[in-house]
Amino acid sequence: MICEFCRVNEANIHLVKIINGHSEKINLCVDCLKDFAVFPTEEIFNDMTKLLTKVFEVDIKIIDKSSPDKLFDKMAKADDKKCSFCGIDLAAIKSIGRVGCANCYKDFKDSLIPIIKAIHESGEHKGKIPPMSSMDQKLEKEIRDLKYKLNEEVTVENFEEAAKLRDTIKKLQKKLYIGKKIN
Amino acid sequence: MQSILKDIFKNKEFERKFSRASLENQIILTTRARIARNISGISFSSANTGEEKKMILEIVKDSFFEKTNNKSKYIFYMISKLSKTQRSYLVEKHILSPEMLLKLQSKALILKYNPQNYNRSVSVLINEEDHLRIQSVLPGLNVKNTYEEIHKIEKILEKKINFSYDRDFGYLTSCPTNLGTALRLSIICHLPAIVVSGKIEEFVKNLAKIGCNIRGFFGENSDVVGNLFQISNQISLGKYEDQVLEEMEAVCHNIIDEEKAARDELKVSRPIGVEDSVLRSYGMLKYAKMLTYGEALELLSMIKLGLDTDMVKGVKHFNFYELISLIGESNIVLNSFDELKMDSDEVDKVRADIVRKKILKGTDKNV
Repeated sequence: MICEFCRVNEANIHLVKIINGHSEKINLCVDCLKDFAVFPTEEIFNDMTKLLTKVFEVDIKIIDKSSPDKLFDKMAKADDKKCSFCGIDLAAIKSIGRVGCANCYKDFKDSLIPIIKAIHESGEHKGKIPPMSSMDQKLEKEIRDLKYKLNEEVTVENFEEAAKLRDTIKKLQKKLYIGKKIN
Repeated sequence: MQSILKDIFKNKEFERKFSRASLENQIILTTRARIARNISGISFSSANTGEEKKMILEIVKDSFFEKTNNKSKYIFYMISKLSKTQRSYLVEKHILSPEMLLKLQSKALILKYNPQNYNRSVSVLINEEDHLRIQSVLPGLNVKNTYEEIHKIEKILEKKINFSYDRDFGYLTSCPTNLGTALRLSIICHLPAIVVSGKIEEFVKNLAKIGCNIRGFFGENSDVVGNLFQISNQISLGKYEDQVLEEMEAVCHNIIDEEKAARDELKVSRPIGVEDSVLRSYGMLKYAKMLTYGEALELLSMIKLGLDTDMVKGVKHFNFYELISLIGESNIVLNSFDELKMDSDEVDKVRADIVRKKILKGTDKNV
């Protein structure tokens, strides 16, 4: 294989670059490698290794959804609203990619929801809850779990089971919302 | 405290009888599980005060060590009181994250770790990105047990501490990427065959499709070295803990199958380019007097591939992750006779010695 750069020497080095899911491959000889200068300048990479051995190089720069700048791109333009508990504003949250306190998730709910949905594809918690939760939260969790099961039974067309679950859910919901407005 | 720490770190008994580790464990090197929790009523790490950080420290420390069992198995460290080398050592072992090393005020670590079991640890990080992070590392593919370890600790702590929780978003964390179960499972895997066969692009694309993040060996913002990858689940909200565990386990089995298949293919097809690369690596490792960390990882990766595909002779079977642990810079420095004499050249020389001793058949050290 001939070096793609000088088209004279034998290509000993093959670079594969994957950027945002798009890939490029290039074959180089030792001399052109120096000119190409693609290697990261970090100390751990010793250029001599690459000259003396053939190295199958992998360069991954996948869209890192958790990197702060990418993550909060989707966030609406920041206004001056401050969190009522910790005082941080949306601009600060956007720049550091972190919220200031638990209350931020309440005060800035509308701005944060699209980001949360983008990462997790859901805005609803399943899974364990703290033991000190109120009775209400426990009921809510039970209802959620049953709803999940209900969907499963409907998918596999176990309609009898599904009906039983639906009734149980209704009972629990009554228990939960007695005295409260139903959402 | 410092002297106990020094003894633990300077334990020289790393030599183990080689037991032919199952191929599975040589593809998936380690599994790590961690959950993030914050204490209800206190601002998160980026917005709280020094006083609050101290309070968090006291609450967690007291709650944890109230159980007398823990006093003997776990040790408490203030990060600021550890030496730079000791901190780097813990980063090399994936116990501390590089973020822990910035702004050391009130950052602490509760750790259960024995250097003889270099690839197992259970730890609680205090005042990192979140108030607490409970994590566990085990060798090979071990998703259920790593989670069990951290769950045990969580149960102890949640009896005394109210964790910040919301019915929609689950356990609340500093970064929205960690909401919900706040559970992150990461595995470190070695995939030389997939890389040299040119299958890596497809592989990475597929992982992204099924909700997995893939990074280089050193985690976020690191390049790929030695064909080592860190793969973790992206989604923590909207799934049950069991789901997260099962899905990761399934992903890992697929990874193992793919790598195995790629190695079997290479064993048969024996492309001259790959054989050449393997044997050049053998030559370098045999004769080099000094090796940098990155170099060593690249060369060892090729040798490992060569061993599994019968492309190289004169090399002993070795445990890749064990060797990676041995040749880390901090590990070499902490195990040296005189830490102060260990400049980077000296470290590179010792590294080359260790590698030669571990992988070459016969004892030709002086070539």
